[in-house]
Amino acid sequence: MEEQRIGVYVCQCGTNIAKVVNCEEVVRAVSDQPGVVVAKTYKYMCSNPGQEMIVADIQEQGLDRVVVAACSPRMHEPTFRKALQSAGLNPYFVEMANIREQCSWVHDDPQVATEKARALTYGALRRVAKHEPLERMSVEMCPDVLVIGGGVCGMTAALELADGGNRVYLVERQGTLGGNVARVDLTAPYLDSARDLITSLVTRVEEHKRIDVLLHSEVSSLEGFVGNFTATVETIWGDGASVSQFKVGNVVVATGYKEFDASRVVHYGYGKLPNVVTSFEFEKMLRAGRVQTKEGKIPQYVAIIHCVGSRSKEFHTYCSRVCCMTALKYAHEVKSAIPDCYVSDVYIDMHAFGKGHEDFYKRGSEAKTLFLMYAKNDHPVIRKAGPGDDCDMLIEVNEKLSGEQIEIPADLVILMVGMEAREDSEAVARLVNISRDKDGWFIESHPKLDPVATTTDGIYIAGVCAAPKDIPDTVAQARAAAGRILAKTIRGSIEIDAVFAEVDEDMCSGCRVCNTLCPYSAITYDPEKKKSTVISAVCKACGACVAACPSSAIKARHFTDSQIFAQIEGVLA
Amino acid sequence: MRRPSMAIRVNPKLIDELELYGAEDVQNCYHCGNCSAVCPFSKEPYIFPRRPMRYLQMGLEDKLKGSLEPWLCYYCGQCSEECPRGAEPGETMMSLRRWLTSKYDFSGISRLFYKSGKIELLAVIGGALLTALAFVLWAVLRGGNIHSYSGENAFLPAASIHIFDWALAGVLLALLLTNCVRMWWFTMGRDKRLKVPFWLYLKGLYLLPLHFLTQKRYAKCEHKRPWAIHLALMLSYLIMLVLIMFFLGVMWSGPEIDWRVHVFGYLATVGLLGTTIFALRGRLKKSEPHYAHSHETDWIFLVLLIFVAFTGILQHILHRVGFDAAANVTYIVHLMGVVPMLGLEVPFSKWSHLAYRPLAMYFSAVRAEAMEREEKKALEPAMAAQSAA
Repeated sequence: MEEQRIGVYVCQCGTNIAKVVNCEEVVRAVSDQPGVVVAKTYKYMCSNPGQEMIVADIQEQGLDRVVVAACSPRMHEPTFRKALQSAGLNPYFVEMANIREQCSWVHDDPQVATEKARALTYGALRRVAKHEPLERMSVEMCPDVLVIGGGVCGMTAALELADGGNRVYLVERQGTLGGNVARVDLTAPYLDSARDLITSLVTRVEEHKRIDVLLHSEVSSLEGFVGNFTATVETIWGDGASVSQFKVGNVVVATGYKEFDASRVVHYGYGKLPNVVTSFEFEKMLRAGRVQTKEGKIPQYVAIIHCVGSRSKEFHTYCSRVCCMTALKYAHEVKSAIPDCYVSDVYIDMHAFGKGHEDFYKRGSEAKTLFLMYAKNDHPVIRKAGPGDDCDMLIEVNEKLSGEQIEIPADLVILMVGMEAREDSEAVARLVNISRDKDGWFIESHPKLDPVATTTDGIYIAGVCAAPKDIPDTVAQARAAAGRILAKTIRGSIEIDAVFAEVDEDMCSGCRVCNTLCPYSAITYDPEKKKSTVISAVCKACGACVAACPSSAIKARHFTDSQIFAQIEGVLA
Repeated sequence: MRRPSMAIRVNPKLIDELELYGAEDVQNCYHCGNCSAVCPFSKEPYIFPRRPMRYLQMGLEDKLKGSLEPWLCYYCGQCSEECPRGAEPGETMMSLRRWLTSKYDFSGISRLFYKSGKIELLAVIGGALLTALAFVLWAVLRGGNIHSYSGENAFLPAASIHIFDWALAGVLLALLLTNCVRMWWFTMGRDKRLKVPFWLYLKGLYLLPLHFLTQKRYAKCEHKRPWAIHLALMLSYLIMLVLIMFFLGVMWSGPEIDWRVHVFGYLATVGLLGTTIFALRGRLKKSEPHYAHSHETDWIFLVLLIFVAFTGILQHILHRVGFDAAANVTYIVHLMGVVPMLGLEVPFSKWSHLAYRPLAMYFSAVRAEAMEREEKKALEPAMAAQSAA
């Protein structure tokens, strides 16, 4: 075997590493190791001069392997891989020793820390000697997109994608488009008609030549990986069903929410007291233009109760975000319909965070809506009023701002039911291979920096299915998801990391242990050959299958046994 | 089955009623508490304006009727300046004082006046005309000489007027006292949890004349001018009242009027005219927070006061320069102002605060001490157990 020529570069990271680790000492210790041609330390290895130094050494000294002892590879491995590539080396011939996060930042004894840094660098040195040249793969990216859910979110994403030139399959379970917003009268806080809003979206979607709308339909399976999914959709007609199949490159999940079942809160008497209605039932009254009791009377007192099913230990601890403004909208609409009516608004906190919300809240006050505050985890109790009372019901509650136990007269009570993950959210999550949080909402790749992507490439989530949000936020997410997909599909193909697991078919016994273990559903099973195969584009190289395989048939590229053992030997040397 | 409830019924209609008393923006309050934090008088157990504003929003009428807090406010206006929502807490307290005045009054006349300025104005005009008619008839029937101002043959002899003054004072005092007793009942008497030993009432009694004469609490406001103006007005009025009630005969018997009566009389007149002109100008220009909102009753009160002060000094001057007939006519006009002003305003309207405010200071101090005693008493067994252990 030809003698290897290795360069070792010890970064000081300003003083981050150098103040604890004696970098000169590490350089001295590795200089006489077999294969080491160059060993240097520098203030910032990741800086341009630092990278240029490595590139120059590779070219002038004929290096074929590089070790960088610096920060976590999560931080700068891509940087140094690029440097190697620009010097004409295979980018996988670099190995990083993490002497910052795992050494200088967590130790304060310079002597011991320097010794550990040396050991880690030795490990990297031995490992890099075993590295193999790897090539990245390019996979074709199908430009067509599957959008699940035909509400405001799904329609917005579909329009954005189709306007961008992509074909979109918009799958909706109901017989009409519009989702939950189609059940609403006006929107808060600007009191625009929800119907107008929906109508304009539906018209554009239906007329768009690149959008295929599939009503009464559900996605029954999704196979493949990013850029190359095959979706199977079942459509139920009046007397039969049909199945269609198409190829898509990406998927937008926009399945929305369902409202909380108010009858679960027993002390509100929903279902028993006829004039206790949910917010969606009240929307129906508003759309019909008839705000009245079940007996057909004009109510003199209307009470609105917030946080039904939300912000309580008993049901959901989260805030549903839209109910506060919707409640204020009801106060406004009731006062418009019945000017003599007294509206009580029974709330926990007024969440008026959005644009125009605080002004809308103030307008509610000015219109003499009586705001009554109750404590979180406390609850109002609704009962029938007596024959001597001038109202139908009485709501008893411990009012926080006065400290008094009070009863509020009411002829009509509106329960602001919160948002809940759909019952089948678990099935949808399994179908597209994404995860859910404890409340059933889908989990994003990063809650702040990557809110619409998921841990599965090619699967995006938008709107309320990820967490409660209002229409503007939903639209923003729908467009964000569409934008992400357009950015990916415009190149026609995607590059896939060369690091993934591979099955040696000769050694695979077909036991299928790895199939269920893979957290990314990256392993398929061929029943004819009785062998498992890893879809390299889906694999994240976590190594779970490698460790589990009883026949040692699975190898992780760039994490081979010999590489790992060499590293351990180096650390212990 | 219905369980018995201790809950207080909310009455969203009360806030509409209070609008007639001048509270227009209470609904805007969202209870940040800035007003109570900035108020120099708000401290336990009397937290305001926030608490009374809450009672008002919720329509807890009984709680409000038992509140002394509105009387502890002098409307310096800092709360209204600090209010982030324009809920005008200062004006709300003012309107609550008007509402409380109408609640203390058993006759319902006060309520009528506050709810309609027109009715009050009609009552004042009616009272003025009746007064004029009565005095002119009485003077003519007893053969009074319009050209004679003082002495036995005077058109309106001082001795008779003096008797009338005392009679009127007696009626007014009876009315006002009745209302004061009602105030005591609402704020102190009917509260079963409040146990006030009699000696506590006696002990605090000195507070009544102290607050009445010095208004020293008012002086604690950050802006001192309103206090100075108010004190000057009140003392001028008091001096004039004492002169009229006790020295009317002396004031009359010109040309040799006692110099002390002269000095006090002129002083009081200057005080009354100066302060009422200042207040009227302020209300017209809305120059200070407490002048920014004027209820009809505020105008009637000030106009009557300046009218009475002006006609009072005018009839005196006319008499001194020898126009006795003109002086007598002016005197009748003066009485046309005095009688409705005292007869209607003192028991039923704005002037009643001369009794309610010092009473509230007194009651609030007694109440706070009684509550503190009760609290200590409740703690005693625990304290004893602690020291025994």
